[in-house]
Amino acid sequence: MTLLQRPVLVLLLLVTHHLLQCWIAFGSVDEEGQKQEEFNEELLLKPLPDRTVLAHFHFQSSAPPSTSNGRHHHLFPKAISQLVQKFRVKEMELSFTQGRWNYERWGGFDPIASSNAKPPGVELWAVFDVPQHQVDASWKNLTHALSGLFCASINFLESTSTYSAPEWSFPPSSGNLRYGTLPREAVCTENLTPWLKLLPCRDKAGLAVLLDRPSIYRGFYHSQRLHLTSTGSGSKGTDSGIILNQALTVVLQPIQPNGQRASMDHASEKHIQPSWSLSSIFGKQVRGRCVLAKSSKVYLQLDRGLVAELKRIHKENEKSVANGLTSENFWSYPSFELSANPDRIVVEENSLHSKSSSILYNFQVEKYSESEPLDLGLTWKIPVVWLCQSAPLHSSRYLMGSGNERGAIAISLKSTQLREGFMGAFADNERCELRVDVFQVVPWYVKVYFHSLQVFIDQQPKAVSDVIEKIHVSPSKDKVSPGMMEMVLKLPCRVKSAALTIEFDKGFLHIDEYPPDANQGFDIPSAIISFPNFHASMFFLEDGSVNKSPLLSKFQEKSPVMSYTEVLLVPLTTPDFSMPYNVITITCTVFALYFGSLLNVLRRRIAEEERFLKDKATKKTGQLPLLLSKLSAKLRGRPWEPPHSPPSSSFFISSKLVFKVILVAGLAVSWQYYFS
Amino acid sequence: MPEISEVPELDSSKISDNASKAPPRPEFDPKIMRKTKPGLKRLFLTHSVLFSFLLGFPFLWKSVEIYRSPLPFREIDSLSTHLRSNTLLFPLHFHAIFIGFDSDADRLRYSILSEISKLTSQNLKCFNNYSLSVTVDSGSRCLRAPITSPHSCPYQCGSITAIDFDPVDDVAVDERLGSVFGRKIKEYSVVVVKGENERAVVGKYRHAWMVVGGGMEVEMAAMKVAEVLVKVFVNGGREEGSIRTEFMPVGADGNIVLSFNLLNADPRDWVYDWDFQKIDETLLAPMIGALGPVANISVESQVLYHTPKASFSYWNQKLESHVFSTKDLPFFVNSNEWHLDTSIAAGGRSKILQFVVYVPSAKECPLLLQLPNGEISKTNGFISPMWGGVMVWNPQSCLKNSENKTTARHAIPLQDLENMFEVFIGQFRQLFGFRSVNVYAGGSGIWNLVPSERGFTEWELDVLSRQHTCFNLHSCATTLASLSRLVQSLPRMIIMDEIGKQVKYSLEAAKLAQSNASIGGYGFSTTSSRQARSLAEDAFFHPSIMSVSYYSFEHCFAVYSPFFLPVSMHVVLAALRELKRYKQEKAKYLAWKAKANASS
Repeated sequence: MTLLQRPVLVLLLLVTHHLLQCWIAFGSVDEEGQKQEEFNEELLLKPLPDRTVLAHFHFQSSAPPSTSNGRHHHLFPKAISQLVQKFRVKEMELSFTQGRWNYERWGGFDPIASSNAKPPGVELWAVFDVPQHQVDASWKNLTHALSGLFCASINFLESTSTYSAPEWSFPPSSGNLRYGTLPREAVCTENLTPWLKLLPCRDKAGLAVLLDRPSIYRGFYHSQRLHLTSTGSGSKGTDSGIILNQALTVVLQPIQPNGQRASMDHASEKHIQPSWSLSSIFGKQVRGRCVLAKSSKVYLQLDRGLVAELKRIHKENEKSVANGLTSENFWSYPSFELSANPDRIVVEENSLHSKSSSILYNFQVEKYSESEPLDLGLTWKIPVVWLCQSAPLHSSRYLMGSGNERGAIAISLKSTQLREGFMGAFADNERCELRVDVFQVVPWYVKVYFHSLQVFIDQQPKAVSDVIEKIHVSPSKDKVSPGMMEMVLKLPCRVKSAALTIEFDKGFLHIDEYPPDANQGFDIPSAIISFPNFHASMFFLEDGSVNKSPLLSKFQEKSPVMSYTEVLLVPLTTPDFSMPYNVITITCTVFALYFGSLLNVLRRRIAEEERFLKDKATKKTGQLPLLLSKLSAKLRGRPWEPPHSPPSSSFFISSKLVFKVILVAGLAVSWQYYFS
Repeated sequence: MPEISEVPELDSSKISDNASKAPPRPEFDPKIMRKTKPGLKRLFLTHSVLFSFLLGFPFLWKSVEIYRSPLPFREIDSLSTHLRSNTLLFPLHFHAIFIGFDSDADRLRYSILSEISKLTSQNLKCFNNYSLSVTVDSGSRCLRAPITSPHSCPYQCGSITAIDFDPVDDVAVDERLGSVFGRKIKEYSVVVVKGENERAVVGKYRHAWMVVGGGMEVEMAAMKVAEVLVKVFVNGGREEGSIRTEFMPVGADGNIVLSFNLLNADPRDWVYDWDFQKIDETLLAPMIGALGPVANISVESQVLYHTPKASFSYWNQKLESHVFSTKDLPFFVNSNEWHLDTSIAAGGRSKILQFVVYVPSAKECPLLLQLPNGEISKTNGFISPMWGGVMVWNPQSCLKNSENKTTARHAIPLQDLENMFEVFIGQFRQLFGFRSVNVYAGGSGIWNLVPSERGFTEWELDVLSRQHTCFNLHSCATTLASLSRLVQSLPRMIIMDEIGKQVKYSLEAAKLAQSNASIGGYGFSTTSSRQARSLAEDAFFHPSIMSVSYYSFEHCFAVYSPFFLPVSMHVVLAALRELKRYKQEKAKYLAWKAKANASS
């Protein structure tokens, strides 16, 4: 330890000196004023087990409490401040996500996975500082303002059937919370540009330069978040400060330089992690900080699992090679190589839940400039295989049943094998219980029967009251509000798997309510599974510089482990959209037939008819032979002679026919003339 | 079945043919006569069905009718015709005082009146109804014309003497005249005094004075008086060719947002910040207060970074600075990089005026604006009508602090900031169509204008109020007229009750504004005209009008024709045939009856 601590101390001194300089420089303005608006930028890079790299950009702007908030700003985005002032937003989070966070491979226990992994599409929640009856109005106005601000169809969250008001299952529990998602919203650059506009340097300088559109949208996962909290009392009259956190999380595949590893044998290439650098994953390098940022840092994080694995490898190496290195300073990296020297190394305090602790390499962007850009790269020397720490239970959700009439939703929770590690302490205890909160919103056209809720633990059906400690249900109202279900489950610690199923009927929508691509199906938003007993936080040695970093202090915040399930796609019966007219036409035809025949029946004189028929039978043959003879005459080309009726009669008939034809033609012509 | 009813007809024709050939038999022939009266049952039945259908039609028509709130079309028309023909009349009272002159007041009055009518020959949209009174104060005598003035003239002869007119201190003279005439009286007075130093000044209240040399003709003075009254007090001293009066930079809801932006072109060179709060309180607040009746003004500011200009500038060796010319101005504003943004705080149809301070980067510093005549602009700024103004501010030393890597945020010195905002107030005045210099060069001489610390003088505010009322009323009338045209041209468009209400209130407000204007209440008439305009715009842009939610005739026809077309055919044919048959049968019966009568 002593060997290690000295360079760290020197580095620390260097860093603090540097920070002091910055502080003095900025101090020139805040001599007379109270607190100033601040801006910080940070980037966290982390290799993931499946040969990808996670990049997490974190930008924090803060505005201290002031009377001029919403009117006069120096660094803080004016639009956001006006939004907060106008709609009295206490806390708000908006996320745009493309792709799904892979909880199994990318982990589910660290702060990034827990609070930055978001469901696909748009998710918005907000807490308002207004009386209860005005919350809905504020929410509607907020959705419209945000949709204008971010070029997205967030305004669809305006209708009451798309948002809900969770009572206690969603983390910032409050009565004035509204929550809504749009799972099908496509996210692209038109959403990113307005988001970048909120940063003082946009993507012109600083870390945001790395956000090269083609490379970040090529990744597996892309999530841009905006979280704001208005601090202070917030009541009328007094002013409140605002803290705006903007985070962008991307999971990218490093581009392998071709032919570099040609000499290596095939088997080891398969296992070796790809080497990457900033320029290979983003195509750009960091050329100095944003001059307006108070601090600008890049972190490289090595996962707990990775650190444990490296330690193990190192120990093995030491046994065989014995090159005099102590076991502690394995981060003088014999197994990998960094292209830049870290300014500081932050080691996580050993947490309760895991054997090992993760390591953060800190790079100060201030030191780099246009001439010597920071192109942080990681080159692996030996193959490493590790696993990310996952949440206690892996959750997934699927649909059951077939047909367009009914079905069932199942949420299944499977224990992850890693659980033994951190549950070990409690496992001996028989009464040990694992608390799981489930929050699920279903649209009104999925009519859930809450009585049909069934719980299976380790494939055995259990009584609902044994497992569910607390449940809050607000049933859906047709076309008015969605159904919402909040549950607290108490599962035994040794549980292998648990499943919840609930049946539903598929409703019918009005013809106007179908979206343009109704045949694609309808989305059921993600359910939120959270584990309040587990906290996805990392603790660092209490140190001034750690507190100054908004990213690390965000990591230190105690927040429950949370995960989102998949979005479900429910096919509903889609009508033929020309159906209303068909129905109208067929009914009207039936009615018309009925009317016509009724009138004719009423007008019939049966006695007279019989008399005439008798007369006709005696006088002449029927109409049909007459017509037939006419036709044959025409075909032969001879003038037709009626069998025995006088010619005047035939002339009369034909003139009448001609008249009728002319009448119909005239009607048609006039119709065309007037309505074309 | 139909052919059965035709049979008698056919038969009858045959019979008639036969009858013409063969002599009629005297006996009863069942083909041409009948003994019983024809029955009315079926005829009655088919006709009752037909009539019930016909009766049902109005109900059906009523049921498919769409809701249209009744709009007062006649009142809208009368408002627009009234505004077009009878020009809006603002009463103006002019008062000319000649001190130390000894001439006939009536004669002077007529000469001034003739000059005024010459100057106002060009027809204005809102003509003003003026009255003139002339006082000649020769020290011993006091002549007034007309002798009985319609309103009480506060001026007492002898209260001003030639000694009061200090040739140097205009502000003191202005205050003195203000105390004599009263600052709140809505009367425009011009004082003509004999003195040594010839001078013509327009004060910041509603009066002007003129010191004329001894040899000056009274007629000449009268001409000058007429000019100042018409060109300055009535028209606000604008040039004809400048910004047209239709461009009023006020939003349709009567709000203006002044958005001040400090743009740091490249923060890597230097970062400047400002203390806007102080400027807002000291410089902008009085002006906003003064413009209260014309518009609700709110102010906001932001500092933006990495905002290069879009046009080029070149290095001028002689001036030792970078120069951009007036030709480049249309490209100066870089709409891609300057995210000035509309304001969320502002309501829907507010007008946002952007004022931009551009701090050039080190490689283009100092940046100067060259006027077409080759001179360098004093203000280093320009305006864009209806958009706002831009000003380039060069830092004191354009030297980049190369050794200091950590760029500090400098504050713009307060003195510079004040100069900057004086320019902005000038630009703001220009956006409203006023002059930004304190001199008015008329046809007959130069008038100095005393500036107000509030940015706008009393008489300028009067001009704005008048012009604004006039503009608002005309805009309200045209909006309502086009709304009524639209509504009348689309007979199947739904019109909500709310629109009807808005139109009604708008008309009421317009009437109120007109009546207030005719009694000279500037503030009230402006406020209510603003209301009228904003309500008219609300009605016109009501979301229900914008949507294509009208229920078309084609749709109606498509829904109802499959039923009504076949059914009505049946019903009408049945009724016609029954009628025909009844007539035939009746003829038969009558024939038999006649025969029976004849035989008996």
